Amino acid sequence: MSEFTNNTVNSVKKPVEETPSGFSFDNIHRNAMIEQMSKQQAASGSNSSYLPQATKTGTTIVGLVYKDGVVLGADTRATGGTEVADKNCEKIHYLAPNIYCCGAGTAADTEKTTELISSQLDLLRMNTEGSQSRVVTACTMLKRMLFRYQGHVSAALVLGGVDVDGPHVYQIYPHGSTAKLSYTTMGSGSLAAMSVFESGYVDGMTEEEGIELVKRAILAGVFNDLGSGSNVDVCVIRNDGTTKMDRGAVQPNDVTPLRNAINRSDKLNMRSGTTAVLKSSFKPHSVGGVTLADVTVTDMET
Amino acid sequence: MSILEYNGAAIIAMTGKDCVAIACDTRLGAQAQTVSCDFKKVFQFGKTFVGLAGLASDVQTMNSLLKFRKNLYELREEREMTPRVLSNLLSNLLYEKRFGPYFIEPVVAGLDDDNKPFLSGMDLIGAPVYTDDFVVTGTATANMYGMCETLYKKDMEPEELFETLSQALLSSVDRDALSGWGATVHIVTKDGVMTRELKGRMD
Amino acid sequence: MNQFAYHQQQMQAPMPMSYQHDGKSAETRNLKPGELSTGTTIMAIPFEGGVVLGADSRTSTGTYIANRVSDKLAQLHDHIWCCRSGSAADTQALTDYVRHYLSQLAIETGRAPTVKTAAHLMRRLCYENKDNLMAGVIIGGWDPVEKGSVYNIPLGGTCIKMPFAIGGSGSTYIYGLVDSMYSEGMTEEEAHTCVKKAISHAMARDGSSGGVIRTVVVKESGNAREYVPGNALPFGP
Repeated sequence: MSEFTNNTVNSVKKPVEETPSGFSFDNIHRNAMIEQMSKQQAASGSNSSYLPQATKTGTTIVGLVYKDGVVLGADTRATGGTEVADKNCEKIHYLAPNIYCCGAGTAADTEKTTELISSQLDLLRMNTEGSQSRVVTACTMLKRMLFRYQGHVSAALVLGGVDVDGPHVYQIYPHGSTAKLSYTTMGSGSLAAMSVFESGYVDGMTEEEGIELVKRAILAGVFNDLGSGSNVDVCVIRNDGTTKMDRGAVQPNDVTPLRNAINRSDKLNMRSGTTAVLKSSFKPHSVGGVTLADVTVTDMET
Repeated sequence: MSILEYNGAAIIAMTGKDCVAIACDTRLGAQAQTVSCDFKKVFQFGKTFVGLAGLASDVQTMNSLLKFRKNLYELREEREMTPRVLSNLLSNLLYEKRFGPYFIEPVVAGLDDDNKPFLSGMDLIGAPVYTDDFVVTGTATANMYGMCETLYKKDMEPEELFETLSQALLSSVDRDALSGWGATVHIVTKDGVMTRELKGRMD
Repeated sequence: MNQFAYHQQQMQAPMPMSYQHDGKSAETRNLKPGELSTGTTIMAIPFEGGVVLGADSRTSTGTYIANRVSDKLAQLHDHIWCCRSGSAADTQALTDYVRHYLSQLAIETGRAPTVKTAAHLMRRLCYENKDNLMAGVIIGGWDPVEKGSVYNIPLGGTCIKMPFAIGGSGSTYIYGLVDSMYSEGMTEEEAHTCVKKAISHAMARDGSSGGVIRTVVVKESGNAREYVPGNALPFGP
């Protein structure tokens, strides 16, 4: 769309609230300079990265086809460097009522890519009289988007769903290559999970067998891969169109029972007046949000 | 040293019973040199507060950008922005700059339409983290996580929430060279906002 | 002035003193980190009235086998097929484009496109985007003009019509074998056996090739897909 509209809008002044769509590359030059300057300032020789790192989901995600549908599974750990950024994040994303997608890689990329494709699928359904989305369509849209960014949008996906052609599982790599498989694993824990699948997968499993195998595969990642952890999420999409999202299907690392088992020391309860306060003020909420009367228009500094 | 650690910051947001609170230090530094002791890094947007830790210039850029977008929203929609909407807006503003990011890691804390607490945190390209207990960001995250995991309990009343949050922050920044030098706490209840300035170590 | 400076830099770019082998094939050397590669064995042999194409089924990231049952044979049109090697993402995108162009061409002209047309479409894409692509493909198929024919399009984007073609990292191990097995005017049977045998031997020696052998026999009457499981490979004398 943008190729056709860009030429014309240059002459017409855009309304101020309209922002252009797509990525903005405004800060790139500045950030390159920042990186260079901080490199020069640093004493010597350390090869560490000066630009901050985004949250990754060092992950185990899996998907398999069973007799009457597909089962998707994921762990729930998000990491930033070595720190656990989120102990219970959702890695099984909704794409369409009959299609879900597990994401590994950079958290923001998997989140926003699936969100974008989900809304494009929604629009597509509206334009085709509400006919059901197909899993291949979702797969093609995802692979085209990822290929366009040549692997810089680092989303490794396991796509699963059912449509008129039956149940399907696809794996999609960040560079935009795809493969249609009956069972697959991705993420840093994919090796551990695949070893479970390779030994346990058989054609035509029942739903219970499928869920059980997926749980075992994710647990293999949770316990053997440092990047994966916390709970197991399982999502079942059946041929009849029903879905079952089971957040926290297995919780091997739940600490609440342990914490409840010991008496919380009273020293940990902060009593009123513990903190020295210099100044205190209370302001009631104003209601109704901003009106034109509240907005002060000031001249731009030049 | 990462550019996120250039100016130094420590921010915690915590939920209580029908209330949320957000606390931040007040230091602005240029690496080890302290430049200012009353730098603003938590900003109010109605019943929602946004804490921005990271590069000070981007903190101020993002604040004015958010204020602009929030005012436009409220003028057009004639209603207040809920914390969830603000969090999504912020996340999308950050992800738009995926390949040339703002160097800030924000937290959003506020009360929604039903005065239920909302909490979220983000990395610098907008990957959201939603929690129902606490979020931390800044240069002392390891310390703050330790304090919060120990001190936090569910459904605290505003007064106890204030004490817990304040102690968690003050103890954390005392072991971080890049943050501290005073602190500010905002406690949001359904009636209004209590703002308190804390006495902290000035070294 | 800038242009002049640029030319000078180009001239002074250091030439490698001697070729050093890094243990990787041309297709896998310049992959981006983490990129999937079909470190591969692919081949195609035409026969009287058709063509046989074959490939192994291994897709790897470094030393990990990302997919052991992949299908590197892509259908471009009714009687035109393509063997892919190099970056999985690049070759999939290329075949998607060529498939799209060919179906458009078939509608516009009202007749089936020739293998030569398909090969030269692919060549154009490979040549004009060679800085950004890592793809070596073999196009084979049947058309009324040339009957069975095979075109090889290696890395730089040249397009050569060949009596038979082999490609991918595994092909280096079987040049001699295929040279000795191939003869002009092979029957369908002979060509099919030759493809399966050659790929078996490549898979045995090349770490980046393996799994099963997938083949397709393309004739005017239609396409016949077949596969040889990994425990029934025609390996050995």
